[in-house]
Amino acid sequence: MGIAIHLDDLSVNFDDRFQLNNLNWSIEANQHWVVTGTNGSGKSALAAVLAGVGKIEQGSLSGLPSNVGLVSFEAQAELIAKELKKDDADIMDVISLGTPVHEMIFDQCLDPELAQELVEKFGLTPLLDRAFRKLSTGETRKVMLVRALSSRPDLLILDEPFDGLDAATLTMLQEHLEKIANTVPMVIVLNRFDEMPDFITHVAYMDKVALESKEAHQKRSEKKVSGSGKLALTVDKNNEQAFHELYQLLHLKTTDLSVPEADPSTKLPDLDPSQPLVKLKQASIKYGDTVIVDKLDWTIEQGQHWQLSGPNGSGKTCVLSLITGDHPQCYTNDIFVFGFQRGNGESIWQIKQFIGYVSTALQWEYRVSTSCKNVIISGFYDSIGMYNKSTDNQKQIADQWLELLGMKDRADQPFNKLSYGDQRLLLIARAMVKHPPLLILDEPCLGLDDMNRQLVLALIEKICEGKETTVLYVNHHMEDQIKGIENYLGLKKS
Amino acid sequence: MANYFNTLPLREQLAQLAKCRFMDSSEFADGVEALKGKKMVVIGCGAQGLNQGLNLRDSGLDVSYALRPEAIAQKRQSWKNATENGFVVGTYEDLIPTADVVLNLTPDKQHTPVVKAVMPLMKQGACLSYSHGFNIVEEGMQIREDLTVIMVAPKCPGSEVRAEYVRGFGVPTLIAVHEDNDPQGEGLALAKAYAVGTGGHKAGVLMSSFIAEVKSDLMGEQTILCGMLQTGSILCFDKMVEEGIDAGYASRLIQFGWETITEALKYGGVTNMLDRLSNPAKIKAFDLSEELKVIMRPLYNKHQDDIINGTFSRVMMEDWANDDKNLLQWRADTAETNFEKTPAGDVEISEQEFFDNGILMVAMVKAGVELAFETMTAAGIIAESAYYESLHETPLIANTIARKKLYEMNATISDTAEYGCYLYNHACLPLLGDFMKDIKTDVIGKGLATDDNGVDNARLIEVNAALRSHPVEAIGTVLRGHMADMKKIV
Repeated sequence: MGIAIHLDDLSVNFDDRFQLNNLNWSIEANQHWVVTGTNGSGKSALAAVLAGVGKIEQGSLSGLPSNVGLVSFEAQAELIAKELKKDDADIMDVISLGTPVHEMIFDQCLDPELAQELVEKFGLTPLLDRAFRKLSTGETRKVMLVRALSSRPDLLILDEPFDGLDAATLTMLQEHLEKIANTVPMVIVLNRFDEMPDFITHVAYMDKVALESKEAHQKRSEKKVSGSGKLALTVDKNNEQAFHELYQLLHLKTTDLSVPEADPSTKLPDLDPSQPLVKLKQASIKYGDTVIVDKLDWTIEQGQHWQLSGPNGSGKTCVLSLITGDHPQCYTNDIFVFGFQRGNGESIWQIKQFIGYVSTALQWEYRVSTSCKNVIISGFYDSIGMYNKSTDNQKQIADQWLELLGMKDRADQPFNKLSYGDQRLLLIARAMVKHPPLLILDEPCLGLDDMNRQLVLALIEKICEGKETTVLYVNHHMEDQIKGIENYLGLKKS
Repeated sequence: MANYFNTLPLREQLAQLAKCRFMDSSEFADGVEALKGKKMVVIGCGAQGLNQGLNLRDSGLDVSYALRPEAIAQKRQSWKNATENGFVVGTYEDLIPTADVVLNLTPDKQHTPVVKAVMPLMKQGACLSYSHGFNIVEEGMQIREDLTVIMVAPKCPGSEVRAEYVRGFGVPTLIAVHEDNDPQGEGLALAKAYAVGTGGHKAGVLMSSFIAEVKSDLMGEQTILCGMLQTGSILCFDKMVEEGIDAGYASRLIQFGWETITEALKYGGVTNMLDRLSNPAKIKAFDLSEELKVIMRPLYNKHQDDIINGTFSRVMMEDWANDDKNLLQWRADTAETNFEKTPAGDVEISEQEFFDNGILMVAMVKAGVELAFETMTAAGIIAESAYYESLHETPLIANTIARKKLYEMNATISDTAEYGCYLYNHACLPLLGDFMKDIKTDVIGKGLATDDNGVDNARLIEVNAALRSHPVEAIGTVLRGHMADMKKIV
């Protein structure tokens, strides 16, 4: 625990897409920190600095240990992208299967014994032979955690470690961190204040650099840095008053909001109101002999809002992809959606036109360089990226959404340079923009800070009140209950 | 079987070679209608077979897979690919007689046995689809008169065909109808519907002929795509090591350099690739490439001549019949080259450094792309075809070298490409011997050692004008414009 890290007037640049300025921060022995703040303020960037990422432009950074364990969405996305890249060179006409989980965990592992123990605790044993990139969001997260925890780190940096984990795993992980707290210092990025472990001693609060001088702005535009953040304050948890004030700061009231209108010119075919939106009969998904979903019956009537929950790997995303048509096995199941009995000559675009959809998998797939505004407009076309000319109406509606999200200033910036949380907000707007008959929100709040989470939850409530959209909401966090959702489906791990 | 092209009169040969037209999106207004309700049976479940099938099914079409009985009985990978994705799988005997369209997506070399097995089983008036015309044009396969024969060839690897479709887009696609086999005059309608089904119509469709496709595809793959990259890799590596540059560094510079510099080519053509260099380096690369073009032009002409008159395919098929003796020997020799045996060193090379220290590589790509394009168009192949078969596909092959070097490239490209690469490399290595003697590390390995980036204005203007006015740039600008939304995948 004998570390002492000092950031002294440090400015760091991240590939010219983000800038952290004039950081002054000390992490002393026996301290554990939580880094929190608004979306896009550079929480993850600050954590990444401690993992040696970014280009130091001025100031000094000292005392960084050499072996840092890092878990973050960015690192996860990078790993997935690497795996996907292995796939796309099939001039050879061969389908590559990707790296298996056991190789991801045990190759170059410094503490195989602990890794083995964690694999069991996280319930990863049955997945060891599966390809890493075939795992669900929660499962990939767990692999990342096992890798970091079993690397004998001198410093552990966990960027949103609890997001995407089911309740049982979350408790287990918190206990494990508690147990190792006296052997390894930790810096944890958290969007949810209420998830702060007891052993945390200090809190760092990050804020966006919003009002900047003209010169600074000019300097920034020249360098085309799309965002910058600063370390606004650090608080010792024992200082009750300061701690309380910070808590207040993070729970600002969400303003009265209204959902921007749909585009009257993008009209969908009418649905027969007497028929359900979705009807799955004895739906099953199998890979070889492994059964992921077993004989599920599920009917979603129009206007009947649903919440879907279940532990990681229980097949939530698989079930959703049967509805959206993204799962190849939707052709071997008895599925009725939006008036179509699947497998009778309909195209997936005829299905997708009725759906607004957001999930972590979508965010990974949304790897195209297009502007923030176009990302919202692409929701009218159900495409990833824009391949159609947008109408003036659609542009106006997109502007209203940007305004609502507080991202008007970033309308023309490239989507792939935004922080994970800001990307998430835009994808939520993309899903909602056409007021779809079915809105599927698969853990929409992952990566969002407290304020934006409140905003998104409020938006979903508003949409539930209206008549045109049926909401299907998937989450782990019990506290994110939505008013208006009265139907629940729980999946078990089979 | 006789070479089909050689049986045609000159007038017809020229007409077929010159066939290629960028289709207007309004020509696809009927969507997949022509294939609606028809039974499409795919033969071959590799990356193209599987991913095209997934797209066609998602476009509302009826797709199933015919596999050989061994593949089904032993549950081979092709069987797994098809069944795990929820497709109906059966033997040729089960499925072919019911098929309205048979999609032959097997490798070239298997075409003759596959088509011979399938043809007697096909029902009267059905359609046989190819993704490459070698079997028809070079092997002279005769197809039953009642059958319609078309070609639909997405110009990207299978996984990209799928990924772009899922995004709501597609990949550029070439279609053709074999005019000798279009008894009901429905070939074009079927090919267009097929291109819509895979999403190709969104990214642009070229209407070509079997002959133009084969003669341009063969030329591209054996010269610039594979041959030039293979030859360039070996020459550049050996030169750097000879000049005392760390072998690990040299290996990395080449293995990943092709991919990096051709990425610039993909986005903005030869012009943009050269524009990534400093002005003195650009002029240097230009001069080297002009020199290379003079030396290599006879070789490119010979390759094109042999392809046009059928010598190439005859010699290759003799090797096929001789258990690939020449090819396998060469594949083994490639594995033994120093470049292949030296792993990429653990050094970081920035994106720009690949350009700065790889001036000769840039010059080689420029010379190869331009020569291949010039030779093809001089042989009567139209610019659109020539562009796709030279410049467009170079980054795809460079990508395989970045993965696992030359052995991987050769093991994974088509049989025809590998054989062509073998011929090219054999001839080109000695051809460039004298040229390489004068090469020093300023153009490969270390970069120009100048403190001053000054150049002569007049010379720079000349070079820029020459780059920008090359015909491959003119057609490239048009075709890349059609793919205006080409996305940088990060």
